[in-house]
Amino acid sequence: MTERRPPMHAQDKLAFLLALVPYLMDRDGVSVGEAAGHFGVPAEQIRDAVRLIAVSGVPGETSQYQHGDLFDIAWEDFEENDRIVLTHMVAIDDSPRFSAREAAALIAGLQYLSALPENADRDVIGSLMAKLARGASAEPSQVAVAGSQSDETLTLIRDAVAAGTQVEFDYLNSRGEHERRRADPLRIESVDQDWYLRGWCHLREAVRTFRLDRISELTVTTEPLTYHPTDVTLPETLFEASADDLTVDIEVSSSALPLVADYIPEGTQLSEQDGFVRTSVRVAHYHGLKRLVAGLSGVLTVIAPEEARQAVTGWAAAGAARYDTPSVSVE
Amino acid sequence: MPSSSTTRVPVEERLFSLVLALLATETGLTKSEILSTVQGYRQRYSQYSDNASLERQFERDKDDIRELGVPLETVESPGDPGNNQSLRYRIPKGAYDLPADVVFSAEEITLLGLAATVWREGSLSAESRRAIMKLRSLGVESDEPILGYAPRLRVRESSFEPLSVALERKTIVTFPYLKPGDRASRLRTVAPLALIQHQGRWHLQGIDQDAHGSRTFLLSRIVGPVGLTNRSFEPEGSDFAARALDELERIWGGNVAEIEVVAKSDAAIRLNKRYGDRSPSNTRLTVHYSDANILADEFASYGPEVLVLSPDSLRDAVRSRLDATVEAHRDALDDAESGAQDD
Repeated sequence: MTERRPPMHAQDKLAFLLALVPYLMDRDGVSVGEAAGHFGVPAEQIRDAVRLIAVSGVPGETSQYQHGDLFDIAWEDFEENDRIVLTHMVAIDDSPRFSAREAAALIAGLQYLSALPENADRDVIGSLMAKLARGASAEPSQVAVAGSQSDETLTLIRDAVAAGTQVEFDYLNSRGEHERRRADPLRIESVDQDWYLRGWCHLREAVRTFRLDRISELTVTTEPLTYHPTDVTLPETLFEASADDLTVDIEVSSSALPLVADYIPEGTQLSEQDGFVRTSVRVAHYHGLKRLVAGLSGVLTVIAPEEARQAVTGWAAAGAARYDTPSVSVE
Repeated sequence: MPSSSTTRVPVEERLFSLVLALLATETGLTKSEILSTVQGYRQRYSQYSDNASLERQFERDKDDIRELGVPLETVESPGDPGNNQSLRYRIPKGAYDLPADVVFSAEEITLLGLAATVWREGSLSAESRRAIMKLRSLGVESDEPILGYAPRLRVRESSFEPLSVALERKTIVTFPYLKPGDRASRLRTVAPLALIQHQGRWHLQGIDQDAHGSRTFLLSRIVGPVGLTNRSFEPEGSDFAARALDELERIWGGNVAEIEVVAKSDAAIRLNKRYGDRSPSNTRLTVHYSDANILADEFASYGPEVLVLSPDSLRDAVRSRLDATVEAHRDALDDAESGAQDD
């Protein structure tokens, strides 16, 4: 995987040591390469860990860490053949239990998977959750995920990923324009209620993020992928700022500031007075701004430019006007 | 081989040595035994001072080790109860080892690997990675060479991490909460019972300490830092997450709104995908919801594209939001009148 790994903290290194020891114990000997492949870590990380394990142990009766109180390995095999053979073991003889939160994270992940259509007949999920709970050192934390409705488009994209082929679809962009797009699907992500497809767009020749509910008429092509999920490092943020973005000055209730934090570029000035903050947000176009502002009624006001204020007012007034005439469609 | 005090022992070596020492002892070790004999401490231990900073180091190390799920126990000395200096520490093997009957098949390993990839970032992703590392120590290979493909979930809310810590430690928390529909936040004091994701949104269920009752909070509306108090609590009951999820599902199913959307508009496309028959030309929709204020905000954002038909309370809520938005931007109205139709 090309995903960046955060640097390992001492705590993670400890977790790795405690996992590696029982793995090595169960084997008479294993190559560094095989162990690295099994754990999905660089070979050097395995070697570092083995060197540390080989000199570690318990204080022992003498409190002096005598030879018999330490792990030992076949050093020659290790240094000459890159093979690991544990020749003496101390204190540990089994894999550690999961923590309450580790078990909870996997259980919640399983709950989520079990709602996906292709797992509907996998009856192992229920028993697997129970097993995780039994394998935890404390009762798993109370975290639960409801299954989301599965979407036909979602299923098709997953099929395309499995088959390694491109997808083609109608896309309605945020300005309201339709375009036929072709993409290498790389990942599907959800943020709150919305689903996004992240893929290599053959029209723009760049990584793009598509909102699933704006996609229609999707077909799985027979064209193989140009880029595979493992080839591309996806940016952490879904959307990149663009030079064409518009800057809009706003006044927002201090309490509600976090609700629009995503739209405030880093380093933007904020001034606070009487529970209100003045700052500015960046938006792609007023089309999106008026929707954002109308959804934050009472907590956010556009200050400038005038054109932005007009866009918001026009939008809200048109919305309110629909309630002026008694609706004939009400039974 | 007593090392000279100049060699620096890496942190992971000290932690590893502490775990090994505490696993190997049945009766437990006292703090001074640990500090004076265990690798990484003994190099810094002095017989002539109070070792205060080394003791603080030991306290932090204990927390780090416990966080990994290692059952590090404290036992009082039977002959000397209540005396802090004679407390003994140990890791009972039975509570440390994964039970012998907890074994995983290749298919299960594959599925768990997939479950771990669901989490895109944040604490659930870190915890999942660690759990997978422990699974790999069992040496079972998954039955598919490459991990399958799961949609990823983001946990954007920064309150998730401190809340999940508080949940595990059963600690009462405080946070500023902007209740949907309110303009200003209020500081809430809550005993957290469960974190639940429903309809794409994360909720905290807990006991509000001021209202003395069970409340559900939206994580996206926690608008400031979550503070962990020094008060803990003992939850009364069990299965909080499952019960809170059922309750949300019940509320969601019971709240129904009828709306009309403008054909082929953004609202028609989005809301039909979510609630309707997925056809953008369908203009009448039935929408379930769990929070009227959140839904009113959402509908208001669609401006003229959505008309709420029922219930009246929701109709009024959307209308008053739109009126308030117009009011707040009033001086622009005269110029905007001609452009009221959006292009």
